[in-house]
Amino acid sequence: MRLKLAIALSRFAGLLSRKILGKSGETIPGRILLILYPKALVALAKERNIILVSGTNGKTSTTKALAKIVSTLGTTVSNSTGSNLDRGAATTLMTKSEYAVLEVDELHLIRLIAETNPKVALLLNLTRDQLHRMHEVKRVADRWHVAVAGATETLFVGDVDDPFINYALSASDNSICVSFGGRKHSDAAVCPSCGIYLKWNKNNYKCACGLTNTDADINLEPVSAAARNAQLANIVGKELGAKVLKIDPTDLERSFTKSYSGINAKIRLTKNPASWTEALSGVTGEDVILILNARQVDGIDTSWLWDVSFDKLHGKRVVVCGERALDLAYRLHVQGIESTVTGNFSDAIAKFSGANSVEVLAAYTAFHSLVTG
Amino acid sequence: MSQIRIVRIHNELLGTYGDQGNADVLVFRAKFHGITASIIDVSYNDLLPTNGDIYLLGGAEDAAQILSLEALRRDDTLQGAIERGAVVLAVCAGFQIIGNSFWANGQEVGGLGLLDVNSVPGNKRFVGDVKSKSTVLGLELTGFENHAGKTILGPNAKPFAKVSIGHGNGDGKYDGAVDGNVFGTYMHGPILARNPEFADLLLTRATGRKYSQISDPLATQYATWRRKVTK
Repeated sequence: MRLKLAIALSRFAGLLSRKILGKSGETIPGRILLILYPKALVALAKERNIILVSGTNGKTSTTKALAKIVSTLGTTVSNSTGSNLDRGAATTLMTKSEYAVLEVDELHLIRLIAETNPKVALLLNLTRDQLHRMHEVKRVADRWHVAVAGATETLFVGDVDDPFINYALSASDNSICVSFGGRKHSDAAVCPSCGIYLKWNKNNYKCACGLTNTDADINLEPVSAAARNAQLANIVGKELGAKVLKIDPTDLERSFTKSYSGINAKIRLTKNPASWTEALSGVTGEDVILILNARQVDGIDTSWLWDVSFDKLHGKRVVVCGERALDLAYRLHVQGIESTVTGNFSDAIAKFSGANSVEVLAAYTAFHSLVTG
Repeated sequence: MSQIRIVRIHNELLGTYGDQGNADVLVFRAKFHGITASIIDVSYNDLLPTNGDIYLLGGAEDAAQILSLEALRRDDTLQGAIERGAVVLAVCAGFQIIGNSFWANGQEVGGLGLLDVNSVPGNKRFVGDVKSKSTVLGLELTGFENHAGKTILGPNAKPFAKVSIGHGNGDGKYDGAVDGNVFGTYMHGPILARNPEFADLLLTRATGRKYSQISDPLATQYATWRRKVTK
């Protein structure tokens, strides 16, 4: 089948799914396109500049920021809603443009690198996430390493304070290694490159095999995760010839505020130990709601809760809800933090009636239902 | 009041699936029983304390599993501890380490030989919820498995639990192994959080005392709910 015909059919299917099933239409067209025309990504990526963004945390917000930067250079498409599998990329590429900035799921990055011959790939971080699907972090890093080695025309940019990112970048001769002064990584006791016990000196690591964050190409000051990603986006933009764009790091935090019967709720996305730890460090109020789900995209295995320290919540009023509220309530209980369990979010909010504000930390699927709800 | 020492072995290597929580739950349950429990974290570069009461090992990927094994081979503390009746709970990669042999990085590796089991590569990865009935506790247990290895029991080890949901040792019939006070299982969760009665059993074995049932309604509610929803 010819590509044009395949695209037309896929678009039509997307239209039907939107009109009849009420879906967002970001996945279906690409999914059908890849069935009708399996090499669609290769064909659609040709003759435009592809920029990929991947990592455990911060993909969606960094992709948005980078797309904004790149759009100063020419027409740009981007999968701005987080539809980040191969099919989401295919749907996005069905629209013609000079540039495409694509957020890519960690396991789909391998295919996207191989098939789209990206001009630049930005690798943010790798920490434990969705254990049932990703398994150990090292497994993902090994696959990235192989994918990077095969992409000889791509410039790779990454944060090498993360040993797994450094290991992936080390497979390329064309990379920009960025360090933000080093920071601890709770999943990197073993050198991902050679398998010996990784030698850490406070926030920096130096392995006998040569893997280290102390000889980066660009050295920057330690900042928050959001600010790191903003700076990385600008480094990529600069390489593409764009002017540095002033980005407010708070724009890269996955959070929003919403009012529920007079209570101002600040809602943050929390999906794995790294993002929980980051979000907990930002909690300033006394009233907190935690929402835990365990659907496929949340990760169906919640054992990682025991790798998060909830110390910050001692003495606060904590209400827990979501499909796996009890997983979380018991974990808090063992850490000496008593919480109230409610059946759903409305009941949780009701517990704070009369309060001015409440801080909400929400699992991926809960976060998205609050965004749209 | 008695005192016990819980030795958390190589958590930075053997802590892939929240396994460190097992030690936290033991300390927490111990308090209810009037036992003062302390956690001794042993990292790769340290030697194991010889006076531990409960030794814990967790899950890991291959390279970390091999490093942990190498470190444990530096002395025979764990074997000595078992001989004097200390309790060992080894989960997943840790379970394989204390066995006779396992596979890592595509090679067969000799284990510590503290539990009469041999692990071999499976033909697929076993991922998902597990429900089983423990032969030792006579209780239904739940956990989450994520491993590629299959484990075959030798004559000196008994199965730890009979599986009703999940794969366990790879045959879908049994999970883990037990020999005296040495327990091996593929169930993460962490297992002691999801099954507080198992934590109580380990405390009983470690102190040699019988404890009356404790009342922690949230723990009971959690474990009961887990058993109900695991299907």
